[in-house]
Amino acid sequence: MSGPRASASRDWARGLREALVYPLTSDVRLLSAAVGTVLTYVVLVLSSFPQFSVQVLASDPTDVVYAVSALTREVYLSTGALGLALVAGYAVLTGVATTNALALVRRARRRGASTIVGVLPGVFAAGCASCGAGVLGALGFVGAMAALPFDGNLLRAGGIALLLFFLARAGDPRTCSVDPA
Amino acid sequence: MDSMSNITRRRALFAGGGMLAFGGGVGYVASRSGSSEQHYVPATSHGSTETTGFGVDLAGRPIAGERDAEVDIYYWTDYLCPFCERFETETLPEIGRNHLDTGDARLVVLSYPNIGEYSMPAALWGRCVWSQVADSDPDAFWNWHSAAFDEQSESGTDWADDETFTQVTERTDGVDASAAETCRAERADSIRESVDANLAVAQEAGIQGTPGFVLYNRESGAAGKMVGAHPYENFADAIDQVTES
Repeated sequence: MSGPRASASRDWARGLREALVYPLTSDVRLLSAAVGTVLTYVVLVLSSFPQFSVQVLASDPTDVVYAVSALTREVYLSTGALGLALVAGYAVLTGVATTNALALVRRARRRGASTIVGVLPGVFAAGCASCGAGVLGALGFVGAMAALPFDGNLLRAGGIALLLFFLARAGDPRTCSVDPA
Repeated sequence: MDSMSNITRRRALFAGGGMLAFGGGVGYVASRSGSSEQHYVPATSHGSTETTGFGVDLAGRPIAGERDAEVDIYYWTDYLCPFCERFETETLPEIGRNHLDTGDARLVVLSYPNIGEYSMPAALWGRCVWSQVADSDPDAFWNWHSAAFDEQSESGTDWADDETFTQVTERTDGVDASAAETCRAERADSIRESVDANLAVAQEAGIQGTPGFVLYNRESGAAGKMVGAHPYENFADAIDQVTES
């Protein structure tokens, strides 16, 4: 029993490592992951007090820095350092996941899907046949979990665990290998 | 697989540095307290027994500013709310100097208990302290009010309990802690009911969190809503708009 289990956990660890380092394989991918991280963080923090965020941005969009800094402190004071670290960690993983998901989309297009319309349903709903669940689908689910206001830290931790699970499952988005039977 | 061969040292260092900068930046912004920690004590305060044109019952509520000011600022707050503390220390002093002390507007402190279990008891403390000093020494209330917000700890709501608020009350000059305790014991139910009545006004105005504000022109009936600790400039613009409408 322990043999196959150990082998499976090694596969997961390798898949997770490959997924996490994929953005390091080119400057554009690294930039894409950075932009995804910052955007996710801004959206998550602003969504902690949407009424305030909408009013501030409607009044003067350049106040986005004020809003993000005020709500960052608010998140820290109301959920503690752990809560804020989970939000930041979630943002980093989402930056990586979106970069990898974009690679999946591009690869699927190269393989014959002529339009983006032909590719997206697969990525959203089930992902490619051998890569398992769609990464973007996972992003939507865990994003919703992270934005929920109640018992935030537990849900955020759950969201991060799910994101890690899907990243490990997909591995390097360029190598969609089929496990041997 | 060529992923490892594509990872250059420069890119890895850049990513590591970026992660450190991101984490450090978030941590710095989170731990930085307000740049100008001030406390506002209004030049004049008063009480009232009226219900305003907007439907807010003023009885037993602290009001900063002149009785005949043109604009009412209804300020729903919670002593356990960190965002309210930010408003109190960073924005209220400037609003006070430029709009309340000049007679242009008056600010009514209203309770919106929504953060923790002690939010409502904290609101009762505030009302009882005000009822005790409103006529004799209203400045004592504002000192107590600031001191209560100062008790907020770095995180969570565990700091708020009977002991903390009793100590704040005992420390504040001009406030009799035992009289406040008696008030809390005897008037708790009636104060809760009156808090709920004004809370319904806030919710009807679409305010779902603290701090929440309604700016109301008492002559024209024009009103505007603000939610959260906006920068002072946003408040100044809103007060000007409501005054002119």
